Amino acid sequence: MRWSFVFKYVGAVTFFLGLNLLLPLAFSLYYREGDTAAFLGSMGMALVAGALLFLVFRKEKNDIISQREAMAIVALGWTAAALFGAFPFYFAGVFDTFADCFFESMSGFTTTGASVMTHIETAPHGLLFWRSYIQWLGGMGIIVLAIAILPLLGVGGYQLYKTEVPSPTPDRLKPRIRDTAKTLWKVYLAFTLLAALLLMAGGMGFFDAICHALTTLPTGGYSPKNLSVAHFDSAYIDVVIIVFMVAAGLNFSLHYQLLTGKPLVYWKNPESRFFLGLILILCMAVYVDLFGVVYHSLGETIRYGTFQVVSIITTTGYATADFDQWPSMSKMILFLCMFFGGCAGSTAGGMKMLRLLCALKYCYKELFNLLHPHAVSSVKIAGKVVSDDIMRSILGFLGLYIALFALCAVVLAGMGVDFITSLSAVAATIGNIGPGLGAVGPVENYAGIPYPGKWLLAWCMLLGRLEIYTVIIFLVPEFWRK
Amino acid sequence: MKIIIVGAGEVGYHIAGRLAAENKEVVVIDKNPESIRRVVESIDVEAICGSGSSPEVLKTAGIKSAGMLLAVTDSDETNLVACLMVDAIAPSTRKIARIRQEDFDAYHDVFRDQAPHIDTIINPEIEVIRSIEHLLSVPGAADVSEFAGGRLKFVGFYLHNGNPLIGGRLSDLPAKLGGHTLVAAILRGEELIIPEGRHVLHEGDLVYFISEENNLSRILGALNLRVKPIKSVMIIGGGRIGTRLAAVLEKRPIHAKIIERSESRCRELSGLLDKTVVIHGDGSDQGLLMEENLRDMDAIITTTNDEETNILVSLMARRMGTPRAITRLDKFSYFSLMPVIGIEQVVSPRLSAINSILQHIRKGKVLSVRTLTGEQGEIIEAEALRTSDIIGKPLRKKFFPTGSLAIGIIRGENIIIPSGDSVIEAGDRVIIFTRRQVVSQIEKILSVKLEDI
Repeated sequence: MRWSFVFKYVGAVTFFLGLNLLLPLAFSLYYREGDTAAFLGSMGMALVAGALLFLVFRKEKNDIISQREAMAIVALGWTAAALFGAFPFYFAGVFDTFADCFFESMSGFTTTGASVMTHIETAPHGLLFWRSYIQWLGGMGIIVLAIAILPLLGVGGYQLYKTEVPSPTPDRLKPRIRDTAKTLWKVYLAFTLLAALLLMAGGMGFFDAICHALTTLPTGGYSPKNLSVAHFDSAYIDVVIIVFMVAAGLNFSLHYQLLTGKPLVYWKNPESRFFLGLILILCMAVYVDLFGVVYHSLGETIRYGTFQVVSIITTTGYATADFDQWPSMSKMILFLCMFFGGCAGSTAGGMKMLRLLCALKYCYKELFNLLHPHAVSSVKIAGKVVSDDIMRSILGFLGLYIALFALCAVVLAGMGVDFITSLSAVAATIGNIGPGLGAVGPVENYAGIPYPGKWLLAWCMLLGRLEIYTVIIFLVPEFWRK
Repeated sequence: MKIIIVGAGEVGYHIAGRLAAENKEVVVIDKNPESIRRVVESIDVEAICGSGSSPEVLKTAGIKSAGMLLAVTDSDETNLVACLMVDAIAPSTRKIARIRQEDFDAYHDVFRDQAPHIDTIINPEIEVIRSIEHLLSVPGAADVSEFAGGRLKFVGFYLHNGNPLIGGRLSDLPAKLGGHTLVAAILRGEELIIPEGRHVLHEGDLVYFISEENNLSRILGALNLRVKPIKSVMIIGGGRIGTRLAAVLEKRPIHAKIIERSESRCRELSGLLDKTVVIHGDGSDQGLLMEENLRDMDAIITTTNDEETNILVSLMARRMGTPRAITRLDKFSYFSLMPVIGIEQVVSPRLSAINSILQHIRKGKVLSVRTLTGEQGEIIEAEALRTSDIIGKPLRKKFFPTGSLAIGIIRGENIIIPSGDSVIEAGDRVIIFTRRQVVSQIEKILSVKLEDI
């Protein structure tokens, strides 16, 4: 384990983040709302800190990165990004404590969208843009972006890519990892621009359209409006956002294949089929539960039911209705959706469809083997055998996910947070969703959580975004042994 | 240009690494999941687990958009079928195959002109025999390559304790060696030095000279090495390389003995070879080596498939007093250890295969490529084309990137060891020594800008 090597990369990522602060700076210069100094200060800090780290360790050769180093680079790189991303909030004086700033920033980068901001609309535009933009950066992965753009991070790209991309088996679209990363970012950018244009066509202002597009595609869920998407109260905007949330919950390599002229990819891929089917079934169940009880017209039931289900299962976390007031079956379905998440290789959080699908097939295989003890069978996805290695890592992931969820919920409840709120707050942060139920429901926010609880939840978000192993590995004593 | 490599063994793995470092798009195919994992975890290339001869796998790898196929698995049959499939699916793709069996030797031309249409067939064993011959021709050398049909030699020597050149500055060397010699590179431990006048030679350095053949004796004199013709050679291992080598040595006035462990193979050998003495026994048995008078022989060449045995037998022979030991080695990770334990003359079929393949991959009119041990540097011999930027300017103008050096110019019958004032003319063959990092820049300089016919 070469720490100087790790720090060199973390320095490069920090510097890169500093460069990204130019964009919100431009917005703040345009709107002139007194947050320019905050951006200049934060940018200076990130650039200086990043450059220093990089220069001190510049002598480390661009060598092959080991698995362990890749995990350290990704985990520390993300923590550094969240840390430096928090300074604009701090310098602009939006929050009283740095804990809140860090929570908001971490929630942004991990595309969680859990906010501690109580008066969103009065905040300066530059800051609101930054809040959306960090979600966009975090969605496709800031380290992969740095690999794609900075020429100095070439050699060990695959290890970093594999560690950051939320999938048990990352796709490789091009032979070189830099090209793969670039391709994915291009698809991502194209979808974001398309979403922004369609939102503007529905009457949304330029700034709001940009911000919403920047938080829909990464399934982030920050909105520059206090009422989130409900502010616009437009069926057209709801539909556009639903479509793009679903798109963001699908594997981005499928989108690339679609763009290269294979229209049936979504149907042919078992994971996306499972995902779309599951959404359909869950929506139906919610309609039945809501119709006549909460909404009296079928149109409203479908519009609000679909939006909330899609928003939660894709782990976006926008809200157009206060689902905390819905009947308990709908609430339960939404709570479960927090665990499901989107497809592997998407920007969504949660456990991911591919893992659930593999686990289900594995369970079936176990039952089958009980009936035929001598049968030899293997779990197959799209005609390909899932290797034992991958299966083990999937089952281990699911086990850890549930165990950490339970542990963190108990700890949060120990801080005096009520039962429903603790459960849903941990589920909503570890799954990168955002709003939960109870005191952290869609019309509430996380400002009321005690400070130690905020640090814990911020850690849960990182845990969820980097898919547990990368973060939890630091707690394993073996990691620190030579 | 996309390059597909079938076979992720030592050859495939290292070529993939070299090409990836030069930013080329590479896809590697191998049947063994372990080999694939090794590739994916250390090289930035796409890797597919599957049979390289399967058309489906080749299609997944994107053979239709690939510019070149390298079939370098350990199995000749797989390599041939892979080429055959590619010939059917994507006939315009260039095909390079490694084919080792002697039985196929006579059919290389047939494979080129008929069905699989393999553009280049590489038999590393022939190359290895050539390197062994080169090593035998220069006493004390750790590395020998030839250019211009043997008239220009590129020779590496280790500087041992007591060598008169130690402590000398490079700027003083021409006086000792004459004008027809140039120090091309110095390998100090893991570090590769592109020499300048101010550099001082240290003990333990591996110094590479480029020299005209007839000036070689002056270098040897300066290094205190005596020229003693090789008269008797012991070959350990009667495999393909050992047998080919023995057959080559039979044509020269060299007395050879070959030790082989398998009795049935010995019988075959006695049929295949005429003058060579075939001995049945274990090559690592010291008693047998004594009995066969190894200590009075001029050289031992260990060629078995088991490199640990080769290393041990070479070490043993050196202790018994055999002046020269040439060791066949395949595992690249061992290379840097060899000088430490006192084994200096190493040949590797895999390194030879890599050299030949690189030569064919390089753009422009590249005539040959040699890789240095440790893979840090490459020597490229190329024709200077009329449209190239290197024509007509004195070398001191520095149009070659830092980290590279023109070390020889061959103009018709003349050989020029270049100095700062030398000028390259169109049609010259230029020999350039380059660090691995600047290979792609050199390629750019050498390649044709417009189609030059």
